[in-house]
Amino acid sequence: MRIVCPFCGERELGEFTYLGDAKPQRPAADAGEDAVYDYVYLRDNVAGPMSEHWYHGGGCRAWLKVTRNTLTHEISAVEPAAGAGAAKVGA
Amino acid sequence: MAEFSWDVRSPLDRALIAGSYGAQGDAGVALTEIRDFDLVQVMARRGKAAEMVKAAQARFGIAAPETPKAVDTADTALIWSGPDQFLVLSKGGKHTIEALAAAFVGSASLSDQSHARALISISGDKARAMLAKLSSIDLHPDKFRVGAAAATSMDHTSITLWRGKDRADGQPVFNLLVFATFAESLWHTILDSAAEYGVTITHSEKLA
Ligand SMILES: [Zn+2]
Repeated sequence: MRIVCPFCGERELGEFTYLGDAKPQRPAADAGEDAVYDYVYLRDNVAGPMSEHWYHGGGCRAWLKVTRNTLTHEISAVEPAAGAGAAKVGA
Repeated sequence: MAEFSWDVRSPLDRALIAGSYGAQGDAGVALTEIRDFDLVQVMARRGKAAEMVKAAQARFGIAAPETPKAVDTADTALIWSGPDQFLVLSKGGKHTIEALAAAFVGSASLSDQSHARALISISGDKARAMLAKLSSIDLHPDKFRVGAAAATSMDHTSITLWRGKDRADGQPVFNLLVFATFAESLWHTILDSAAEYGVTITHSEKLA
């Protein structure tokens, strides 16, 4: 498997580390225990396209948001995760 | 209080033995460790990338690389190292972290890497073949041209790799920065990989 890093170009899997589901959003401080429990522990076991966080630690050290089909490993989109590259996101 | 005297030594001081290594005859690979350089990491602060680019232009008279490239000025190389960050490589104390601090105040954070990396210059007509065993980067001359750079891994070690100007005899030059504590390990891996082509080993005080 290869991932096309938006900063570095196409690279082998060995340069990346998988974090997991990119969907969960940190709940507000007053959201309550159930919301925090969901955020920390509950994950969908997706069969198909899934939004995931990957870290290009063996390259530019940017966090990426990768859309990967968990059935075929086909990658349909890669974009910088929020905060990766001060100019690109959240500037 | 005990008196300390710090002895500045290259991370490859023990491993590097100048001379020839591996196959006899015309060496296909030349390995030169460049010693005594200044290396500063420049990283844009959040939302300040455009200001950092402007500050670099003012300081160096040239645009800092915003894509994986290395650009040369008369006395420095600016090497891309990731989004909104680059390395300043120089000799002779002109672009130390102290010298650069004022230029980037407010736009970027600086970190002195001068003694944190080893710099190895790899050249020769078998340099590409040797590197192909260690790197997954496409180093074909049409793909990885003079000035191309990559933040990548070699032998599970993070490195910065860029192509310098060709040697006077037309052979390609690849420059490699590696963390000081990994330098000796990678050096031995490079020697193993290059042995079949014959290697000339030197160290130098000059940037390639
Ligand atoms: Zn990358």
